[in-house]
Amino acid sequence: MDITTIVFWFLSALALFSAIMVITRKNPIFSVLWLIIVFFAISGHYLLLNAQFLAVVNIIVYAGAIMVLFLFVLMMMNLENLPVVNKNIWMKFLGVISGGLLLCILVSTSKSAADMNLKTIIMKEGNIGLIENLGKVLFTKYALPFEISSILFLSAMVGAVVIGKKES
Amino acid sequence: MPVSYYIILASALFCIGVAGVLTRRNAIIVFMCIELMLNAVNLLLVAFSKMQNIATPPGSVSVGGSDAQIFVFFIMVVAAAEVSVGLAIIVMMYRNVHSIDINFLNRLKN
Amino acid sequence: MNALILSAVWGIILMFCSILVKNKKAIGYIAAFGLLTILIGNIAETYGTQITHYNIYPMLLLDRFGLFFNTIAILSVFIFVLLSLIEIRKTGKYEPEFYTLIFFVICGITILTSYQNLLMLFLGIEILSIPLYILTGSDKKNLKSNEASLKYFLMGAFSTGIMLLGIALIYGGTGTFNLQPGTHSVVGTYHGISFLEITGLIILMCAMAFKASVAPFHFWAPDVYDGAPTPVTSFMATIVKVTAFLAFFKLCEVRVTDTLTAVNWKMIFAVMIVATLFIGNITAIFQQSVKRMLAYSSIAQAGFMMYAIFSLNDVAKEGLLYYAMAYSLATIGLFATMSKIKDYSFEGYNGLAKKQPTLAATNAIFLLSLSGIPLTAGFFAKYYMLASVIKTGSYTWLVIVGVCFATISIYYYFRLIQAMYFKTGNPDTIDHEITPFFKNMLIVVAVFIVLLGAFPQLLLNWFYF
Repeated sequence: MDITTIVFWFLSALALFSAIMVITRKNPIFSVLWLIIVFFAISGHYLLLNAQFLAVVNIIVYAGAIMVLFLFVLMMMNLENLPVVNKNIWMKFLGVISGGLLLCILVSTSKSAADMNLKTIIMKEGNIGLIENLGKVLFTKYALPFEISSILFLSAMVGAVVIGKKES
Repeated sequence: MPVSYYIILASALFCIGVAGVLTRRNAIIVFMCIELMLNAVNLLLVAFSKMQNIATPPGSVSVGGSDAQIFVFFIMVVAAAEVSVGLAIIVMMYRNVHSIDINFLNRLKN
Repeated sequence: MNALILSAVWGIILMFCSILVKNKKAIGYIAAFGLLTILIGNIAETYGTQITHYNIYPMLLLDRFGLFFNTIAILSVFIFVLLSLIEIRKTGKYEPEFYTLIFFVICGITILTSYQNLLMLFLGIEILSIPLYILTGSDKKNLKSNEASLKYFLMGAFSTGIMLLGIALIYGGTGTFNLQPGTHSVVGTYHGISFLEITGLIILMCAMAFKASVAPFHFWAPDVYDGAPTPVTSFMATIVKVTAFLAFFKLCEVRVTDTLTAVNWKMIFAVMIVATLFIGNITAIFQQSVKRMLAYSSIAQAGFMMYAIFSLNDVAKEGLLYYAMAYSLATIGLFATMSKIKDYSFEGYNGLAKKQPTLAATNAIFLLSLSGIPLTAGFFAKYYMLASVIKTGSYTWLVIVGVCFATISIYYYFRLIQAMYFKTGNPDTIDHEITPFFKNMLIVVAVFIVLLGAFPQLLLNWFYF
């Protein structure tokens, strides 16, 4: 068992464990913190897969920006005196069951996909994940979607201002 | 590493996210579970990108598979935009009803 | 491309209008003028005049079908804006931003009518949805609007996650994001199709069905349509829904035909059609509020639009264009009238014919068109849909199902006509908002619907030449 395999299993176990912690914690603050650990584990996977650029962006954007935004919003709200709503245990049960069923379908798909069984991923090789090579593709073939995503950002900006502004 | 390991790992993360969306009633946690789902998809895409990538002799640029990494980049872009709008909506809701519970929303209907 | 660039530019112009234009009444007219330029730009492009020659090929492909649909969609938005000028001014104090978001939605529409890559499908759907989450919540003090916005947002984001999983699995199976699947490998596949691609396609179809509010993924629609401010509901239930259908159609046209050997898509779609028609029509009968009735009727109409996706032939293509026009115009007219009446229940319409004969008469035409009575556009829209199924030669029992449910739908549409014409009452209308301009616009739309119904080739001839 070489070091890459050990790191792979460690990161996978960490990601799965933290993901389960995210959905089981009562306090949303803990959920946010566990989710940040999931993001770090996923970034570790990106590094193993030689996607260095995405690994860095994942930490900067997700763990650094999005999760901090979540924390801000949580701290703005006074979650101590929220009205207690009765919990429906059946709904929880059904939710877990349907998630498990989806997992069964996906796993059986990957097992029956005989064309996938032959394919392997060669770790620690290849250089498409470098910023230079990705940039070349992004600004040639994917230039149009890149421009169009600016419209998406503009509408999100306008929306956040319209919705978030306090009405006098 | 066989690619099916990554498919199963990403599916498991995705399904944990789905289960979280279906079981939790706190709007912010539901939203975080959706982010978890998006991240599972990102991991799956990066694994597929590596699978498509044909290894070349050291020193030269390898070909294939960069599409998926660009796609991941766009998913992050969209997720960031979605988060800004979504949190604004949740804050607006909180200002009006002082709750972010989804069950509470359903009671308003009646 | 013209429409995409122009609508982005007009969106930005409208954004600056909120600080530069002091006369609030002018903003609506500026937006209407902007829509007119986009409409002209799009028609010019249909005949080969382009502003720029930007290389868009692997991402977008502007074909005649998409451009013609753009024309229909932009025309519908134009009529929508003219009919709800006053309404939009009343929803909150962010009128210029409201129009900005509508222009950005048009960007999304132009992308979705021409996408050639699943990345563009994803971006288009997001550009279409994110402004709508905001517009749904634009009535900030209203709890119902807030609730609808949060509900729509959470479910929309969830379906985006599902959609991305589908796209990722398709990529795993085929190795490309192009709409055209390319060559399939033979090793270890099922009838030449990779299992991952099959699962991915099914998941992607679920997400698209969600966006188009087709059963069993329709559950968000009634609550969101009911809670959103009336002009937003009108916009969402017509133009946006029809665009989602077009994107769905474009996806199926390539991918379903390609994977027919491995998956029995016809069966899946047939079940979805019957479920959508059943849920939409049967629940619409029991509604007491006209707004909610129209929400369910829009689900029922989505069932009819599913016929196009079921049959995927030339008649279906023509029928989808025709249906888009007929359905959007009639529903926009109904919602515009509804926003002038204070009470949204059926009783609120009692005696409208006495008090506002123009409104009642035009509304009667819209309702007749939606229920598919001959001599209105709705009849031929439904006719084309059913004819497309007959042309495929299989599952002809779907035609009988469609006719049965169309007959059922007459009940709840006529209930409103009955309330307007045969019941006495004094409807609580907002009289100072019913301007002669508003009435004339309604008459123009009604005349257009009757013309389309009397001469169905009018629209389609234009499509071919």
